[in-house]
Amino acid sequence: MAKSFHLEIIAADRIFYQGECEHLVITAIDGLIGIMYGHEPLVTSLPTGELKYMVDGKWHYAAISEGFIEVMPESSIILADSCELPEEIDIKRAEEARERAEEKLRQKQSIMEYYHTQAALNRAMNRLKLSQKHFK
Amino acid sequence: MANIREIRERIASIKQILKITNAMYLISSSKLKKARKSLDATMPYFEKLQTTIESILEHTPHTRQFYFDKRQNIPDGKRKKGYIVITADKGLCGSYNHNILKYTEQELSKTSDIDNCYLFVMGHVGRMYFQNRMKNAKKAYVDGEFLYTTQNPTLYRAREIAELVLEKFEKKELDEVYIIYTDMVNPNQYEPKTVQLLPFSRRHFGKTADGTMKKLPKASFVPSPEEVMAYLIPNYAKGFIYGAMVEAFCCEQQARMTAMDAATNSAKDMIKDLSLLYNRARQAAITQEITEVVSGANGLE
Repeated sequence: MAKSFHLEIIAADRIFYQGECEHLVITAIDGLIGIMYGHEPLVTSLPTGELKYMVDGKWHYAAISEGFIEVMPESSIILADSCELPEEIDIKRAEEARERAEEKLRQKQSIMEYYHTQAALNRAMNRLKLSQKHFK
Repeated sequence: MANIREIRERIASIKQILKITNAMYLISSSKLKKARKSLDATMPYFEKLQTTIESILEHTPHTRQFYFDKRQNIPDGKRKKGYIVITADKGLCGSYNHNILKYTEQELSKTSDIDNCYLFVMGHVGRMYFQNRMKNAKKAYVDGEFLYTTQNPTLYRAREIAELVLEKFEKKELDEVYIIYTDMVNPNQYEPKTVQLLPFSRRHFGKTADGTMKKLPKASFVPSPEEVMAYLIPNYAKGFIYGAMVEAFCCEQQARMTAMDAATNSAKDMIKDLSLLYNRARQAAITQEITEVVSGANGLE
């Protein structure tokens, strides 16, 4: 078994995960990054996306929205706005959020509003994708 | 005696008020429970956010990033300072509003030029106070379109506020941004506090406990320090504003609960005193009547 490192995933409304982890895969701004024990110090930001981490040889998946990660050789900290397991995702709510965002995108909006809606749409799509992929 | 009726009316009106304060006490205690729960849930994030940023900055190579720009070429009197002030939406919460407003006044009086201060006030009470003040001679400009409630803080609201402030900073409409909120020292003690949000300086994160700078290897930034910082600092600002909002809201409910509890208790005390007076007056009236009857009967003999 691979050597494990300490991982903390902290969402704005709760501590999502705190404990040992063998392998972590995150989506950073410019692609996927895999992190194992002894990774070089690294700081990067995370857009809305998918995250997986391996505990005792088993992969766990989570939907994450906007945050950043600080990697140290023996520990990693992820701070994010929200983080959810696939089975925690409220599909109905995400569905509604997507429809709302799509509806809004059809309207004329200021650039800022446009970015907001796009971000909201992104979050909803990400949630839906993840729950469809891993929770059935 | 007219006195008896007066006392009776007084007792009735105090009882009415007692009902109100008691109801407000119950409401705020249930709200407090909710606020406390969300505070407990956010606290780890809020604290981790600060320590993590601190440790990231410790091994960040020197960047010419925009948010670190102190704009030293602008003289002290010309610097435009923005203050985000978090007050309550309603009164009747003891000294909570008074404290934060007084504290803000102090902060404002410290600045060299009050005309260059811009206030972003959250909560109705504070907004009213500063807008009224603006009509007088001494002024600090209040953004009238900055309409945010402090009830039930959400991350969404925090994001909007952070964006607004960052945008103003980028456009050079503001050179410094502070946030003034009520910090909960412990559940029974809270005090106003100022934190500088922008420009981002390493100093205000302080050093390690023993005062030495940790020697850490330089971390690598993907894709580049500038880009990561451009992303991370808005995120930090948002997280910080959210944390401050949650904490202030919790303090507000706590203050209101204590104030209403005290009001209910003193209403009870007043009722107790007044009913004693009432009974005495009643007894005096009865005694007098008896004396009158007896002396009348005596007169018949």
